[in-house]
Amino acid sequence: MRPLDPVTSKQRAAYGLAFFVLFVALWSWATFGGHVSKTFLANPLTMVQEGVELLSKHGFLFDIGMTIWRVLGGFVLAAIIAVPLGVLMGAYKPVEAFLEPFVSFARYLPASAFIPLLILWAGIGELQKLLVIFIGSVFQIILMIAVTVGATRRDLVEAAYTLGARDRGIIRRVLLPSSAPEIAEILRLVLGWAWTYVIVAELIGSSSGIGHMITDSQALLNTGQIIFGIIVIGLIGLVSDFLFKAFNAWLFPWKLA
Amino acid sequence: MTTLKIEQVSRTFPARHGNAPTRALEPTDLTIGNNDFVTILGPSGCGKSTLLRIVAGLDRPTGGRVTLDGREVTGPGADRGMVFQSYTLFPWLTVRENIAFGLRERGVPQAERYKIADAFIRQVGLSGFENHWPKQLSGGMQQRTAIARALANDPKILLLDEPFGALDNQTRALMQEMLLGIWERDQKTVLFVTHDIEEAIFLGSRVVVMSARPGRIKAEIAVDLPHPRSYKIKTTPEFVQLKERLVEEIRTEALKVAEHA
Repeated sequence: MRPLDPVTSKQRAAYGLAFFVLFVALWSWATFGGHVSKTFLANPLTMVQEGVELLSKHGFLFDIGMTIWRVLGGFVLAAIIAVPLGVLMGAYKPVEAFLEPFVSFARYLPASAFIPLLILWAGIGELQKLLVIFIGSVFQIILMIAVTVGATRRDLVEAAYTLGARDRGIIRRVLLPSSAPEIAEILRLVLGWAWTYVIVAELIGSSSGIGHMITDSQALLNTGQIIFGIIVIGLIGLVSDFLFKAFNAWLFPWKLA
Repeated sequence: MTTLKIEQVSRTFPARHGNAPTRALEPTDLTIGNNDFVTILGPSGCGKSTLLRIVAGLDRPTGGRVTLDGREVTGPGADRGMVFQSYTLFPWLTVRENIAFGLRERGVPQAERYKIADAFIRQVGLSGFENHWPKQLSGGMQQRTAIARALANDPKILLLDEPFGALDNQTRALMQEMLLGIWERDQKTVLFVTHDIEEAIFLGSRVVVMSARPGRIKAEIAVDLPHPRSYKIKTTPEFVQLKERLVEEIRTEALKVAEHA
């Protein structure tokens, strides 16, 4: 091992997997070895059994589907509003001066703290869940995209001007394509955060979803189910992250060339 | 017919942090006629790039004005093509798409603009690299693409801001020959900024020497070397004589800068 020495993709996969193995091994040692009480932490085998039961008998797949739809719904809604706003803020300094202070303030408002208010405003239906995700994501996306677009290389913009581009051309054919990979990365990052908001939203006033199942299991002291739920979230996150990365690489071949 | 007139153009950068305002460019006059190849030679900090940026419309003069065929320059435009010292190809576009950028902004249909782009790709010797990304090209190839990109727009005047400054000596010499070849064949009005004396003589029909701090035109020297010029001209007595004279001019300026630094 030397600083910044690269690893092959095979080695990378092996090392990555090794930590998961180590993790499960430690967990097994703690639970099967009796070092932690069953009440507090289920062992891996129980967790898997509980998971199978959840999936086969309690319609857990439906809960997973509900959660995914809420995350995507709230996230897409936030992106639709935030991406154009962020681009406008990045491109036009007066728009930035107008919105940036408020957005910076709003970014720190914790989405979970809005849940009681949102229940009051939107009830405990789907709209309220979507709004939690929306509030949690929209300001973050706006701000990060504004910074990215604003940091577009000046010399590229100047080159485009000397080639006869006008304001619209600058935005559509310089600012947007040059920021696009960063924008995709920002969306990938914020989608990850949206997953934490959805579970919080489902812990309160919900009758479906992974978060709802976790609160139910807490009442029954079923740590196996809780852990299974958490692991499912982790796996979905891992898969969506992988898909997002692959999609970005496919979308922006010039980045990798 | 193209005439670029620089009339009493000056540029002062406003005061910052209690420092006095910087006079980057004293009132300067320069006229560039049709198909002229004028090189502006000066040490760094002599305002030569500032002058070029004002002509391009990327910077505004504090006083005076620039006119191109009688029309005052108020901002950047396609009639003044520019090649920068830094690599400014759009990284998300291929070589062909980069060269066709200006045509696209003008609304030229794709088939036609690719036809024009391909002709320029051949001219700068990049055949076979049409679909490469800028990242895959060497510095010299990137600057050749940038020159083709500016030329494809068919500007009235081509502005070059030390375009070969970041290249190694061998590549630079080849690029100079290529650019001169294009000029000898197609005739263009060119304003070329450099700090390289040999480059200024080899390329220019006229060398404008600028002095440092405040920047102003110190001398104008006609280069009466015959065309077409090959690299061999750089060792002829006439060339060497011109070079000696310019070395003296530039040396005094460089010394002034060094004393103030």
